[in-house]
Amino acid sequence: MDSLSQLRDRRRPRNLGPVHLRRLFRAVAPLLAAFWMLAAGYAAPAARVVSQTVGSDELLLAVAAPEQIAALSHLARDPVFSGVARAAAAHPQIALGDAETILRFRPTLALFADYSRAELVEQVRRAGVEVMVFDRYKTLDDAHANLRRLAAALGSEAQARAKRIVYSDTNRIAALREKLARARLARVIAPSAYGVIAGAETTFQDLCDRAAAENLATTLGGLRGHAAPPGEKLLAWPVDRVVVAGESAEEALAPYRRLPPYRFLPAVREGRAAVIPAWMLGCVSHLRVEAYETLARALHPEIFAE
Amino acid sequence: MAALSLSAGDARLSPSQLLDGLLRRDEFAATIVWSIRMPRLMVATLIGAALSASGLVMQAYFRNGLASPGLLGVSAGGAAGAVVAIGCGLAAVSLLTVPLFAVAGALAATGAVILLGRRGASTERLLLAGVALNALLGAVTSYVLSAHTITYERNAQILFWLIGGLEDRTWEHVWMAAPVLPAALLLLPLGRPMDLLSLGADEAQSLGVDVRRLRRRLLVLSTVLTALATAVAGTVGFVGLVVPHILRLLIGPEHRRLVPLSLVTGAAFVVGCDLLGRAAGDLRLGIVTALVGGPFFLWLLRRDGR
Repeated sequence: MDSLSQLRDRRRPRNLGPVHLRRLFRAVAPLLAAFWMLAAGYAAPAARVVSQTVGSDELLLAVAAPEQIAALSHLARDPVFSGVARAAAAHPQIALGDAETILRFRPTLALFADYSRAELVEQVRRAGVEVMVFDRYKTLDDAHANLRRLAAALGSEAQARAKRIVYSDTNRIAALREKLARARLARVIAPSAYGVIAGAETTFQDLCDRAAAENLATTLGGLRGHAAPPGEKLLAWPVDRVVVAGESAEEALAPYRRLPPYRFLPAVREGRAAVIPAWMLGCVSHLRVEAYETLARALHPEIFAE
Repeated sequence: MAALSLSAGDARLSPSQLLDGLLRRDEFAATIVWSIRMPRLMVATLIGAALSASGLVMQAYFRNGLASPGLLGVSAGGAAGAVVAIGCGLAAVSLLTVPLFAVAGALAATGAVILLGRRGASTERLLLAGVALNALLGAVTSYVLSAHTITYERNAQILFWLIGGLEDRTWEHVWMAAPVLPAALLLLPLGRPMDLLSLGADEAQSLGVDVRRLRRRLLVLSTVLTALATAVAGTVGFVGLVVPHILRLLIGPEHRRLVPLSLVTGAAFVVGCDLLGRAAGDLRLGIVTALVGGPFFLWLLRRDGR
């Protein structure tokens, strides 16, 4: 009987008086405090970030929470340069000018590249703003390293986003490599109406390396960076396709059909072009994975049709 | 004009905020006023005075109204030095790398000119040497421009030095340009001898002027003033040509009055052009000086012709 009443006693809801509540609070308070401290440590710092280059715009939009973005670069909304033109429309832009154009947004962190004017970077730094200068952006690994570096400054949520992006990119690259494993290298050049052509150590070279293409400006021309094309020699290069930026092959090739030496090139005359969006030719962020895939599709349609 | 220059900028400070900034009562406003706007104003003042005085001296030296600070290749030397530093990717190393290279380039050109002047070269020979130096240094600049077209931003930096600008000038730039003041002080007592020189070398000699010594001093002061201005703001054209001419048309040919007035008017002219350029959406200083000075000069000529 005793044991039965004890059992009933246990089942009966206990009337929690002030003493019990106090005891409960004493027991739970240290746990709550520990949890709060842990959460505070992991929560996104209240960063207000201004980005000064298109490359850092693309990184920032990928990992930052919208409220962490104070302003993007003056080219962020220009689809010719930016891979995030549409998304950038939701954020303010800095003007092309001096340090005041950045400081007026009261940032806590400002993103630059090593080609940003040293005086501008220094002025912003001296105003007490943390400055992050990206100085490696030639490969996808560089872009991922930049993404992680930025995410580390923005907090755990940004770090988680960066991790997911790198993981997804790695998978996409592996899938692309597998798909292009038996593809014949497409022999290409990337002409420019400004009198230069992309050789080694350019974003275009990186695109070619990933999209099963041989950049003839590098292999036959021995060019480095964006250099003047060797006029007469170029005409002897066995170009399968010219890689041009635009909406359609006709529109993208039109300027080159008037421009020597390209106008004499069989690939240009016969309209053999691989057309990709303009921003992809100069992309220095992780978005270049999309450029690899787009170029690969344009150069090897038969593989992707399978 | 100085007050206007201090109150103009992207940060859009109200008059009370501006006052708080000047009195360092508001940290943000103080940063904008003392770290960004004040050094810009100081550099504008110093280079305006330097270029205008240098132009006046050149015109007196050659007894030719078409003479300007860039005539002897000093500006081209400064620009070539800066462009080489940017082309070699040294711009991001330190805030002072590019100005120091510009100083080195300008001083090398100055050295060459002074060496020629010491050997008693005639003004014609000096002029021809200036033409040759300008061509040589222009070729260096063009080579770097054509060989280092890797990034749009790097070219933008090069353009900054070729067109001239005042964006993001710091107190270091002010200190670099500060020797303009003692050089200007050395120039002040030379007004009367310059007046006598304008009568002709023989006449000046017969009136007790040591023409050779005077010419050497004028050459050194003019080239040093131009070198300092180019080192901190790039190649700013037209100031040295137009300001002395405008003053001559307004107050006559007396150098005793022209020397101090050219210092003050040159400073005011550049500060005003910088203000206009900022109001017109950050137009480069060199463009504004030509756009403003040119028509005004033509109007004065027309008025004088009547």
